[in-house]
Amino acid sequence: MADSPEAIKKAVRMYMFIGGLLFLGTILTVAVATVPAFDIGIHGFDKWDCILGLAIATTKATLVAAIFMHLNHEKKAIYWLFGSSFVAVTSLAALTALALGDPIFDAFFYSGR
Amino acid sequence: MEIPYIVTPRKDTGLFNSKIAIWLFLASEVMLFGGFFSAYVFLRLGADYPWPERTLPVLPGLINTFVLIGSSVTVVFAWAALKMRQWRKFQLFMGITVFCALIFMVLKGVEYSVKLSHQAVRLQDFTVIEGHLGYEKDGNQYVLDHNGKKIEENLIYIETSKVTFSTVRFHKPWVEELLTQAEHKKTKITLAEDVLVVTEKGKPQVTIAKAGETLSVDLLNRIQKAHLAARSHNGAYRTAALRREWKIAKANNPDKKDWQLASTVSIDTAALEPQLLTEVSTVAFSVNPPAALDFKPRDIKEADGQSRLRDDTVIEGKLLDSPMVFHHVDAIDFQHLAMRAVKKGDDPIVAIENSWLVKNSPFAKEAWEWNKLQVAKIEKKLLEDYGINEATGKPNREPTLKERYRIGWKDFVSKATGVDRDSADIKIKEEFTGPNYDGRGEETFPEFSLPREQVSFAAKFTPAWNTYYALYFTMTGLHGLHVIGGALVLAYYLFFGKKMYLENPEWLANRVEIGGLFWHFVDLVWIFVFPIMYLM
Repeated sequence: MADSPEAIKKAVRMYMFIGGLLFLGTILTVAVATVPAFDIGIHGFDKWDCILGLAIATTKATLVAAIFMHLNHEKKAIYWLFGSSFVAVTSLAALTALALGDPIFDAFFYSGR
Repeated sequence: MEIPYIVTPRKDTGLFNSKIAIWLFLASEVMLFGGFFSAYVFLRLGADYPWPERTLPVLPGLINTFVLIGSSVTVVFAWAALKMRQWRKFQLFMGITVFCALIFMVLKGVEYSVKLSHQAVRLQDFTVIEGHLGYEKDGNQYVLDHNGKKIEENLIYIETSKVTFSTVRFHKPWVEELLTQAEHKKTKITLAEDVLVVTEKGKPQVTIAKAGETLSVDLLNRIQKAHLAARSHNGAYRTAALRREWKIAKANNPDKKDWQLASTVSIDTAALEPQLLTEVSTVAFSVNPPAALDFKPRDIKEADGQSRLRDDTVIEGKLLDSPMVFHHVDAIDFQHLAMRAVKKGDDPIVAIENSWLVKNSPFAKEAWEWNKLQVAKIEKKLLEDYGINEATGKPNREPTLKERYRIGWKDFVSKATGVDRDSADIKIKEEFTGPNYDGRGEETFPEFSLPREQVSFAAKFTPAWNTYYALYFTMTGLHGLHVIGGALVLAYYLFFGKKMYLENPEWLANRVEIGGLFWHFVDLVWIFVFPIMYLM
């Protein structure tokens, strides 16, 4: 992390640049959803808009985390701490996904046959 | 006392303590919001209704995104200013950050208030009508309820002849409301018959309320008191009797277990009867002469003959015409109806043209015809721009379901001003607060009276309306609370941080870094909430 005045001044320029990228990313996300020329896949919202929209959002989130939250040069303890929470979320979401195929709405399942 | 490791890092972690603490907190936050995001995915995948795609106003959401990103930049500038020991600059950037939080919450507040006053109703055939309800008027004056609030023209009217209260569950404000209405309608609500009860063990019945007594909360309280005393006494008496029976049974059968005796132990209720007090669980009142009393739909399960309020009060009488009166209709949505028609193998267009609304409302019919023309124009444009797929013979791009089956408020404006869809002149204010109903007038947003029997489900645009809005309010509400919490902490550093700065500037810089980390996380959550809720 920047500590000397020179390093901080340099970092400030980087923050402005990243801020600009985040603004651009936001405009691009809205354009994908609202401007026909940027509409990929079928007309209107579809999986490609979803993938592109989330890809831009993830890139923006990564920039915020890496630069503004200084995760690009943090101590190992923090990587483990923060990283493990994503592992937990992904695992729990995966467990829920397994239940998507559960026959709880299946009349046949309830009929006892 | 000096707090250790607030400026210098610990040797084992290499970090100052509060940094470890905030990252632990942020890790728990990831799991909290991660849970909501996965709930969103699964609820959307499993939705049995057309998911409201791109239904929120984009402009306020976009501005809020800019505001949060901007504040993320300024908070990191504020931290950098502290690192360079520039107090004035720190104040400036932190001030902007807190101001951004304020703008964010104001815009969110406007968005919420528009939703909370906007009515939706699903008809029996799954057509959805949206708009604003009118208010009850007496001449030129608005009628006010017992809370002094205006009453929406969305009431259930019953020609009431009898009201039976549950003596335990009756809701005092509703009793008072009934009395106000009775006075207004010049009718009397009086006790139907004497309430005769045994109030002391073994003594004869006494009259605690006489037939003809006027309904009042005090009267109901008096009957409730007698009922609760009797219930308490009777319960204790029955328990004591059962205990005695168990003692006898155990004494007579010392070798048997409790479960073997259970089926044989019982009390002689008829023998206990003379010792019991009278419980009065319900009490009936006559409405004389019968009068048309009104009830809020959320409070009553209405039926012709006998209806029931949520506090178990039974209202007897003929169900009268109780239309839901829209002062302004601003959207007609056939998406759900079309979806169900397709599921059944029917033609959605035929289903829509046979729908109750199109058949009974000239305005809806006109709007539907206009929409068909617009869809044809979109089809033509898409065909010109993207052509036909050689392999399938179908157009490469087709209108969306929303374009085909939903006529939104901007379409209403386009129709009224005689322009094509998406070409209407919408004022900036309308993008934030919804259409200017009064300015655009009745010809754009018509009045409409919907018969009660057509209503299948009605709600404001609140979590009650569907799972999308439940998630929208939960996620954005929780995020909003984070914005408020974060802004309060940052404002504390701004307004009360000078002393700490003079004492040990690095300490304040570390604190601002911690507050800033939380603030970036709030921004990071919004980076996902905005596209998911507003654009997808």
